[in-house]
Amino acid sequence: MVAEPSESRARARPWMCAVAALLVLAPAAPSAAPSGGGRQVLTVAVSQSVDSLSPFLAKRLVSTTVHRLAYEYLTNYDPGDGRVIPGLATAWKSSPSKLTWTYTIRENSRWSDGRRATADDAAWTFNRMMSDEKAAAANGSFTANFREVTAPDPRTLVVELKKPQANMVALDIPIVPRHVWERIGDLSAFNNDRHFPIVGNGPFVITGFEVDQFIRLEPNKDFWRGAPAFDELLLKFYKDGDAAVAALRKGEVSFVQGLVPAQAAALRRTADIRVNDAPGRRFLALAVNPGARARNGRAFGTGHRALRDPAVRRALFHAVDRREIVEGLFQGHATEGAGYIPPRFGAYFWRPEPHQEIAHDPARAAALLDGAGYRRKGDGVRTGKNGEPLALRLLCHAADPYDAHIGRYLHEVWRELGVETRMECRDNVSDSWLKGDYDLAFDGWSVNPDPDFVLSIHTCAALPATPSGSGSTDNFICDRRFDELYARQIAEYDPVKRAEVVKRMQSRLYDTGLMNVLAYPNAVEAYRTDHIESITTMPEDGGSLWGQDGYWSWWSAKPADGHGRSGEAASATEVVVGIGALIAAAAVLTGLVALRRRATADDRE
Amino acid sequence: MTESALPRSPAPARRPGAAVRFWHSYRAHRAGLLGLGALTLIAAVALLAPLLADEDVRKVTGAPGDPLEPPSAAFWLGTDQFGRPLLGLLVWGARISLTVGLLAAGMSVAIGALVGIAAGHYGGWFATVLMRVTDWFLVMPTLVLAIVLATVMSRSVWTVIIAIGVTSWPTTARLVRAQTVAVESRPYIERAKALGGGHRHIMSRHVLPNVMPLVLAQTTLGISAAILTEATLAFLGLGDPMVVSWGGMLQEAREAGAVSSGHWWCLAPPGLAIAVVALAFTLCGRTIETVLDPRRGVDR
Repeated sequence: MVAEPSESRARARPWMCAVAALLVLAPAAPSAAPSGGGRQVLTVAVSQSVDSLSPFLAKRLVSTTVHRLAYEYLTNYDPGDGRVIPGLATAWKSSPSKLTWTYTIRENSRWSDGRRATADDAAWTFNRMMSDEKAAAANGSFTANFREVTAPDPRTLVVELKKPQANMVALDIPIVPRHVWERIGDLSAFNNDRHFPIVGNGPFVITGFEVDQFIRLEPNKDFWRGAPAFDELLLKFYKDGDAAVAALRKGEVSFVQGLVPAQAAALRRTADIRVNDAPGRRFLALAVNPGARARNGRAFGTGHRALRDPAVRRALFHAVDRREIVEGLFQGHATEGAGYIPPRFGAYFWRPEPHQEIAHDPARAAALLDGAGYRRKGDGVRTGKNGEPLALRLLCHAADPYDAHIGRYLHEVWRELGVETRMECRDNVSDSWLKGDYDLAFDGWSVNPDPDFVLSIHTCAALPATPSGSGSTDNFICDRRFDELYARQIAEYDPVKRAEVVKRMQSRLYDTGLMNVLAYPNAVEAYRTDHIESITTMPEDGGSLWGQDGYWSWWSAKPADGHGRSGEAASATEVVVGIGALIAAAAVLTGLVALRRRATADDRE
Repeated sequence: MTESALPRSPAPARRPGAAVRFWHSYRAHRAGLLGLGALTLIAAVALLAPLLADEDVRKVTGAPGDPLEPPSAAFWLGTDQFGRPLLGLLVWGARISLTVGLLAAGMSVAIGALVGIAAGHYGGWFATVLMRVTDWFLVMPTLVLAIVLATVMSRSVWTVIIAIGVTSWPTTARLVRAQTVAVESRPYIERAKALGGGHRHIMSRHVLPNVMPLVLAQTTLGISAAILTEATLAFLGLGDPMVVSWGGMLQEAREAGAVSSGHWWCLAPPGLAIAVVALAFTLCGRTIETVLDPRRGVDR
């Protein structure tokens, strides 16, 4: 999994979230997993629902984070500088033909049921992904180019490629134990969440899971790099950000991520809490529907025709001031958007040249639309030559405050321009997204050190085979020049030359105007210093804790003295009830008055 | 009585007298006057919003203050997370809350009155079917039904109005049906029928005027319920995100982390405003109900 939809494009079932919101009024804190006395538990508040615990299906950030903890991958990334370091493989080399890769598998990695993890497990995992389409759902882009994978002995894994592939040392695929998984017939129906503990060989073992309540992990005492220090890592689900913050204040959770500026500012002033505000590995973009198409050439969806005109797309984004979004809406907790890959990945980061930059210039925007034939009468909405008004739908995640805020901003600046926007905020945006029923949409991915995956989702090969199918495409981009560059970067083994091609790809993507990166949001997170004494950020110098490329934060976390020795379960969230109480108070008050009035009226008769 | 010479019926002449009598009785209720005063004030604020607060106050671009400023001389109620003055937003929000309250309650009572009168008048299997449908809506939790409706329909003020309107009518329908049955058992209805009055004539000329006081009181009470439901839906994030409403202000404050950060000034004003308006409508509604109570012989 190189990248995952950050704010989960598929966000639970339709009115699931409404129900979740209702819970705010009576926020039965997820009936927390019973944790025994005296255990040192590291509790992490998460909000995103798990899509699947099967490494073959999971795409969301929360699930892939758990997989990083529970399974070893061939390689890992150094917490200091992000370079590739040994994981399950201790060494690797490619043949002079660039088509054969040989990995040496470590001898000291054991599955949690006692068996040794060998090259055979890795070979089986890859072979299954190559032969079974259902196993390729999440990470298929890595193995699509594999010709053959063999394990001549337990210490050696050999991968034969069809064409050179540059990300062979960054194969972010969880290796699963063959003796457990070969019994599973239909991988698309198996979510790996029934029998605990789940057999793995990472620093933690998954020992419990309840949908939208908790995921419990316990340390793998035999982990070759050393066992984690906490007795338990508990991921607890909070659908409401303020409820999670209240729980942090109470000491019910140790770590909270995804803070909004006001929460971060208030927590900075709180004792025993440290706020970490670090450049993230996410970008937040506005994706344009270029007219949804399938690989068989069939067009579908209801994307606005005007957006097929590059001049219109340019005009829309000439009207947007990215600086105002970063300073006004993110209040500085983000970096201004430029290229597709966030600046944290310095080697690949690209910024538009002055001549191609779609900078903030409302006058230019208006001129472009005039030139494209979209004229306006007075202050009204511009209409095209065919009389079709320039009214666009903006697909947003209902539960993401930033989507709503930026949407509001866009609504205003585009109205000035004569473009009407209507926000369609959904709890589950996937349905409209896959059907191509949107004009513009908020889009964001967490990028991994190797950029191949986030680039692959914009190639023609990623389009769905038929209109009813689902490809791995992000927003139906299919551009020949981009595809040519994609093929070149994946075959380029020289990192400097490859980075050059990746930058040219970003330049091309930028020029199409179909992916407009607005900002790179920071990872804003906080933890209790009386629970966690020390924890490793990634990068070590000013990096983030949640959603790291490796397992460093939770593996390295050391408990503070005294944490977990006394019972500290408290029901948080009364604060949140406050708002509900304001409304409830009104209801009760009117009800009381009503009763009184009725009583007196009856008395008079 | 010189009017008797005129071709008109005496009823119109009696109306002004009825209105005056109504006002005299209403005036005797202090709580009713209090509610009416509060309502007049809030309605005036809502109508005069363009004069009281700049229209641009709702814009997130170029907001005058810093985010989440506490109340000060420049911003009497502080600012929200975009730096917009909350007082201005509160004034503009009054428009939405009142509009939604009035229209949703009107819609709900209209449906309720129609169903109630039809069921009460026709009776038989038709009434049975209508009343079973009413029962079904009655046992459905209104809020849950409204949430489902607001979720499946596109986000707009009209969606909220419809969602509230079509879910809150059954009580009115039951009340109106009972009153209709009572009215229709009176001798003059029989007389009207004997003189050849059709269904429509009887329903519109004889039944409707008699259930009108009930409907009026029910509307006034329904408004406060509708305003509360609107606020609840907006608070749950089901309102139109582009529109400033009181419930929406609470929702935005919650999203901005105002609760855990202790920014009470984002929460208290819209919450209190909702409470005051709902209370005012309830006070008025109860007073009207008492004054127009058919059992007390007023406006018979």
